[in-house]
Amino acid sequence: MTGTGGPAHGQDAWGALSRAHFTNLKKILYPLPGITKQQVLEYYIRIAPKILPFLNNRPLTMHRYPDGISGSEFYEKNAPRGTPGYVEIFPRSSETAGRQVRYVLCNNLDTLLWLANLASLELHISLSTTGSYESPDFLLFDIDPEPPLTFDDVIQVAHIVRNHLGNEGLVPYVKTSGKKGLHIIVPLVPGYRFDMTRAFAHRIGKAIAKDTPHVVSEFPHSRDPGTIFIDYLQNAQGKTMVAPYSLRGSPEATVSTPVNWEELITGVRAEDFTIRTILSRDKEPWRELFDNRQKIGD
Amino acid sequence: MKKQTIQKNTGHIPQPVPEPAPLHHEEKTGSLTEDQPGLHGGSPDDRHDIAGRPFWSGSITIGLVNVPVHLHTMVRDKSFSFRLLHRDDAQPLRYDRVCTRDGKVVPWAETVKGYEVRKGEYVVIEPSDLKAIAPVSDRKIRIEKFVYSLSLDPVHFGTPYILTPDRSEEAYSLLRTALVDLGRAAVGTITLRTKEYPVVVHGYRGGLILTTLRYADEVTSPDAFEAITRLPVPREAELELARRIISDLSGDFSIADYHDTYREAVEKIVNKKLAGEKIVYESPHPEEAKELMQALKETLAALQGK
Repeated sequence: MTGTGGPAHGQDAWGALSRAHFTNLKKILYPLPGITKQQVLEYYIRIAPKILPFLNNRPLTMHRYPDGISGSEFYEKNAPRGTPGYVEIFPRSSETAGRQVRYVLCNNLDTLLWLANLASLELHISLSTTGSYESPDFLLFDIDPEPPLTFDDVIQVAHIVRNHLGNEGLVPYVKTSGKKGLHIIVPLVPGYRFDMTRAFAHRIGKAIAKDTPHVVSEFPHSRDPGTIFIDYLQNAQGKTMVAPYSLRGSPEATVSTPVNWEELITGVRAEDFTIRTILSRDKEPWRELFDNRQKIGD
Repeated sequence: MKKQTIQKNTGHIPQPVPEPAPLHHEEKTGSLTEDQPGLHGGSPDDRHDIAGRPFWSGSITIGLVNVPVHLHTMVRDKSFSFRLLHRDDAQPLRYDRVCTRDGKVVPWAETVKGYEVRKGEYVVIEPSDLKAIAPVSDRKIRIEKFVYSLSLDPVHFGTPYILTPDRSEEAYSLLRTALVDLGRAAVGTITLRTKEYPVVVHGYRGGLILTTLRYADEVTSPDAFEAITRLPVPREAELELARRIISDLSGDFSIADYHDTYREAVEKIVNKKLAGEKIVYESPHPEEAKELMQALKETLAALQGK
């Protein structure tokens, strides 16, 4: 089996552009829409300018699908054997595991391509950066519906969360999770601890659950049928969120997509945002996110 | 290198030494073995004649009617099997029956079959016990009834075999034509050596084939999985999307589109070694594509512009 690139001069031309190398380009990773690894690589190459700022210095959890989304999958926190030298590593001793975890940092384009070639379709980021790992700079509300409630119901609850945060003087940002739910983010000024963001999110969740049918704020009810859970527990050390613009391991090759609040009306579907539609999308609602770091009460 | 000189001397891969007679007859469902044709899948000299001699002869019996037939192998497992050799002199290794207590080799005559009832506990089964319950091998494929071919569930299909007429061309042709006309298949049993197998006989590409069937309790039904019994009903809109994707990707199936690339790669290695070529193993070949290079150039330009 030889590559499609042909003789050595092709490799040289490539080598001038990137240190990453690709394998099995023809492999189908998404069987339903028939998307190959080459198309996944092209997606990550083209989305790089938008996704890289959100990956920068955030310890990654890779969700790998080496044989595509219908094959076996696994999460990987540790840099795998054979990780090339251009990949930055963030070593952390994990209290729970009692050993060191060598997190991958996707701080350059070559690393992003290397990750895509590993079929790490989903990239999950921590809510804090390496510079102040104990201190979150994202406040996260992870909102998921339990059937028979749907994405439309999540949209309504998201707007309620937005209003509550607005009452606190906050400007939240929202993205599709790419699966069933929505992620609402408030970028924070430095100095918070996870117990503070967790308590804040819990307080908002409880207030909404009190007045809103179907909404639950407590973990034991989080999987009750016909409920929507506002998950505050994700605000914790070591927890992650799928990165904005990351692909998801869903049949339709959806993308976790930042959206404008105005776009988020009943009838919008997570499946509208896929590997095929995102690149031609001109809206970039999270563009100013890092210029709008905010303070929360408590 | 050592191995290559051996191969050059003989011009062949060392042939597998015939295995000793099997201790007990281990038959997997669907693998009929009357006169074992002595195949070791994949070895280059095993080019067995597809349309060659039958391995079983008998007759299809429908009530009082007999149709004498031969049974031929239809599918061949072409996966590679390797023989274990001694690294120093490339001699094939033999497996011995070794007593788990003292590690000494036990002669065939001192062996007996055992059925494990609990871990480490066996009931000894004498050859006479088995002989008493062995079905009579009367060289008959007994047909019990005819069913619609499409009512047979493919998950129960074992191995197919080709039936050819044994100086019974007219009766064979009559049976085949009638089955095909009616869209039916004949269901019955065949007894080979010590076992009886449920089988189905049906028309296929101008002939009749016999396919062994798996017993009901050998097949797991998907509804044994809770995850499957509790599947949600898809929403109509999603279903519509899925239907559209499926119709867009619909095509004609041809098994010839698929190749055993692993086997082909192994064959290549074998042939190269036979030709005395030095084999250079490549690490997974880096691939490129023009589209990716173009995309990368544009992205690098965009990142630099920031």
